[in-house]
Amino acid sequence: MTAALKAEGLHTFYGKSHILHGVSLEAEEGKITTLLGRNGAGKTTTLRSLMGLTPPREGSVQIFGKEMARWPSFRIAAEGVGFVPEGRRIFPNLTVEENLKVPLERPGPWTIERIYKLFPRLEERKLNRGRQLSGGEQEMLSIARALLLNPKILMLDEPSQGLAPLIVRNVFEIVAQMRSEGITVLLVEQNVRMSLEIADYAYVLDDGAVIYSGPAKELAADEARVQAMAGASAEDWSDSLPHS
Amino acid sequence: MSQLILFNITNGLIVGAFYALMAIGLSLILNLSGVINFAHGGFLVIGGYLSYTLTPYLGFWGALIVAPFLTAIIGWLVERLLIRRVYGRDPLYSLLLTFGLAFIIEDGTRQIWGAQGLPVSVPAALSKPLRYEFFFITGYRLFMVAMVAVLIVLLFVLLRYTRSGIRVRAGTLDLETVSALGINVRALRSLNFSVGIFLAGFAGVLAAGQLGLDPNMGDGLLMPSFIAIIVGGVGSLTGTLLGGLLIGVAAGVTAVFFPSASDAIMYVMMAIVLLVRPRGLLGEEGMLS
Repeated sequence: MTAALKAEGLHTFYGKSHILHGVSLEAEEGKITTLLGRNGAGKTTTLRSLMGLTPPREGSVQIFGKEMARWPSFRIAAEGVGFVPEGRRIFPNLTVEENLKVPLERPGPWTIERIYKLFPRLEERKLNRGRQLSGGEQEMLSIARALLLNPKILMLDEPSQGLAPLIVRNVFEIVAQMRSEGITVLLVEQNVRMSLEIADYAYVLDDGAVIYSGPAKELAADEARVQAMAGASAEDWSDSLPHS
Repeated sequence: MSQLILFNITNGLIVGAFYALMAIGLSLILNLSGVINFAHGGFLVIGGYLSYTLTPYLGFWGALIVAPFLTAIIGWLVERLLIRRVYGRDPLYSLLLTFGLAFIIEDGTRQIWGAQGLPVSVPAALSKPLRYEFFFITGYRLFMVAMVAVLIVLLFVLLRYTRSGIRVRAGTLDLETVSALGINVRALRSLNFSVGIFLAGFAGVLAAGQLGLDPNMGDGLLMPSFIAIIVGGVGSLTGTLLGGLLIGVAAGVTAVFFPSASDAIMYVMMAIVLLVRPRGLLGEEGMLS
């Protein structure tokens, strides 16, 4: 297996609070790796550390073999790492089309025309401001924006958050489609069942440390564990997982 | 009487256009970098004096173009070497830094060009009145207002239609996400700072033609520019433009009826705006929070 992204021993702090306690993970090239865990487990912090937004105090982040743990986020993105942040973070004061013009223009197959083919809804609303979009449209825009960077790796932070079930399915289909485009995906999610359905490999995080890792199929097959995790009652499920 | 009012309104518009030009530069820098640039008036002075030095070599028109660009380059260097270091820190640092810079520029100007004011002449074609009845509307005054209008339109076009402009507008609300999309936000801030300084330099060249040169000439423009931002609404460049014109005209009109209050009127307007609509005329809510 070739790792597109490899993180080792990440220790990340917010001010004085120690959030990540030596997180290590790998994302295999051309596959979907999902990062699961309850609220506050450190999933978002892990992505922010990988992206250079909250740089780790210790540890290494290698992306296609290049050490990037101390790089500013724009340099990491410029190497081909697309980021769909938690809460979508679209620019509310810009139109849809302007939102799509913000990312760096790396060469590649994705153009605004192609984005409009994939998301016809965005073309219909291209002159609307970001703040006028529905949650689902905002999510599409956030993904579209990251794709326009022509990323080799795509990191998504809870893309299904706050969306209606039908739209959630749609979002997961798009994420799965990215894999067939050859993009390596790192997916942070609360929606355990659907994530495991599309993912190849899974990590479970708790209290800033990896407590389980294995093929997504294996984790999905363990109905008791999945049920405990999907049940979302935090305390009981983390204990039910064997430490890897 | 009506001619007097017209005179003062015209005057107010011209002064207001300067306030707006300065305030828009300040606003650009404040919005993207969170720095209140107290040295902005200093860059106006640099622009004016550079045009004075360049005019013998390049003529009025050459200096009008080149001096603001040189000012912008100086601004770019200042951002790279000094201003950049205070981003993301307590606002006190940037206030102290730019306040200090303002003093350094003012005294530096005195060292280089002398403490005495210098007269500046403009081409004869621009200096004569257009009509006898409206003796106060000289060609140069119209020219100043036209140049300010052209610059502001150009700036709005750049912000709306170029990728860099769109990125600046995006960065105003969420610079972190702009960075995560691969945009070198350090370079973006430098560029944005230089554009703001370019506007100050241009204002200096234009003002020199009307008022002559003086090392303190930036001081009187700075406070009204801040007021223009507050009246127009922090975060909105259109609001800033409106705010500048409004306080200029208000000061002009007040000068007719109650001359001694013409300076105070802008503070009164600011107080009213802050009481009735704290975010300013066109400001976005929570812009600075």
